[in-house]
This record gives sequence, C-alpha cells and structure tokens, in this order.
Amino acid sequence: MWLLGLFTVGTEGESIVGDLHEEYSQLALKSEYGVARIWYWRQALKTVVHLYGMGFRGAPWSTAAVIVGGFLLMRFVSGLPDTMLSAVTDRYLTYWSEHFRAYVWMLNGMAIAHPIAMIFVGGLVAFVAKGRELVATITLALALSILVGVAVLWVGAHGLIGITWILWSCADPLAIMAGGIIVRTRRSLAASLPSRA
Amino acid sequence: MAGRDYLGEFEHIIVLALLRLDDRAYGVTVRQEIELRTHREVSIGAIYATLDRLEAKGYVKSHLGDPTPERGGRSKRFFHVTPKGVAAVNRIHRVLQSMTEGLDVLRSYS
Repeated sequence: MWLLGLFTVGTEGESIVGDLHEEYSQLALKSEYGVARIWYWRQALKTVVHLYGMGFRGAPWSTAAVIVGGFLLMRFVSGLPDTMLSAVTDRYLTYWSEHFRAYVWMLNGMAIAHPIAMIFVGGLVAFVAKGRELVATITLALALSILVGVAVLWVGAHGLIGITWILWSCADPLAIMAGGIIVRTRRSLAASLPSRA
Repeated sequence: MAGRDYLGEFEHIIVLALLRLDDRAYGVTVRQEIELRTHREVSIGAIYATLDRLEAKGYVKSHLGDPTPERGGRSKRFFHVTPKGVAAVNRIHRVLQSMTEGLDVLRSYS
C-alpha cells in the first residue's frame, strides 16, 4: 500500500488501494494466504507501472522539463563535494606525508557527500514535480542509470574496473529516488493531517 | 466520420464491462468481469488508466461511494457510461459489422 501511495494522488489512490484490499481479502478467504499475497504483489507491481505511465501522460511536457532541469542540476551539484573538499585539502593539508590520515578522511567524506548531494537533487526535482514526484525522480534515475551503464561498459572495455567504483556509481540513481520518496512521503503525511483552520 | 474518435480494444472491453455491470461497476467488479469473460488477467492499474482516459474523453463518468470496512475504510469509485460513450460503442459496432460483412470469420483453415 505504501508503494502504491507513492504514485497515486488523492481519491484515485484510495480507490485503487481499496480495490486491491477488497480482492485480496476475498482471495485470502477462498485460497491460501500465500497465494493471495503473491496475487497482491503481482497486481501492485503491475499497477505501479501503469500509474507511472499515467503520471507521465498526464503532463508530459512539464514532467520532461522538470527532468531536464534535474539533470542539469545534477551535473552542477555532483561536482560540488569534490570541489569543496579539494579546496579544504589545498588550503590546510599541503603535506601528504604529514596529513595522510586527513586525506583518507576527506576521500571517505567525498564518498558520503556525493549520495547526499544526489538525495538533495532528487528531493528538489520531486518538490517541483508536485503530484508526479516519483515519475520525475524515477525517470531521472533511469536516465542516469543508462549513462552509468554505458560508462561502466566503456571503462570495462578499456581497462580494469573495480567493484567499488561500480557500487559508487549505482548509488547516485538510488539516492535520487530516495530524495523523491522522502518528499513524496512527507507531502502525503502533511495532506493526511487534519486542517488547523 | 472525420474527427471521430474510435475506441481502442481495451477501452472497448472496459466500456462493455461497464454496460454489463450497470450500477455495480467499480474497479473490482470491472476487473473480475473482464477476467471472467476474456480469460485473461488484467491489473487494476490498467483498468484505472483506461477509465481515466475514457473519462477525459467524456465517455465515462465516475462518482465516489461510501467507505466500507472490507476495503479498510476506503471508498469505492463507481463508473457509468455517458450517452457519448454509448454512441462511441455503437459506432465501433457498426464499423465492425460493416467490415465483417460477407466474411466467414469463424471459418477454420485445414
């Protein structure tokens, strides 16, 4: 239900979840619990795909514009952690031999700061694409995944490729989606709270 | 005939299901009716996606029912076919009748 709630808006989502709940209950009474669970998950996943398509078709140009904007923002933001940390190391850590531990700490910092920056990008894209948060962030993550896949193949064809680099590259699309999920979940919670008026 | 919109295959099936179900037409009953008569599993998402498209075209209208406990306190969304939707169904049936006239479509080839 949480998964469907990420893609549906208002009463439409309520109806879809209600329908699945009703049929799942009917099936659980007639057959085994496990059969009903499998049916429910199969239906939920197929429904998510359709809801994704519906979300995109509802406003294709504005959604595409948000995705392109997100891609440009991502290009700008992705270099910031490296730039900032390099500025710190150039300013304060000029001797490699004396500051080796600090350099290692900085390198680890880059590995952590980069996904956080991507969560920020995903969150901002989701914030702008109100009502289509997951459609926009998933599409952006898919586009990035394709580029990452091409890069992995190219690097692999031209030299050694480390598993760490692959994992680090896969983190960005997941972080973008995480940002979208966070914004969407908070919006849904805010909408479900009673009005203070 | 210029400018008229013909129903797609799945849209056609959905509208016929709504006409069969009359006042009882909502997501669950529509899905079960289609599955029963076509022997193919359809997802509730596909049904709602098509119903939304049909509603945007003015062929179908929906309204919310009361919440029920077997649905976890959630409301049903009932659908019914508009006169424009009935006209669209009649139009496609006339087209199909015209196209199949004189053809033995049930003939088996040995």
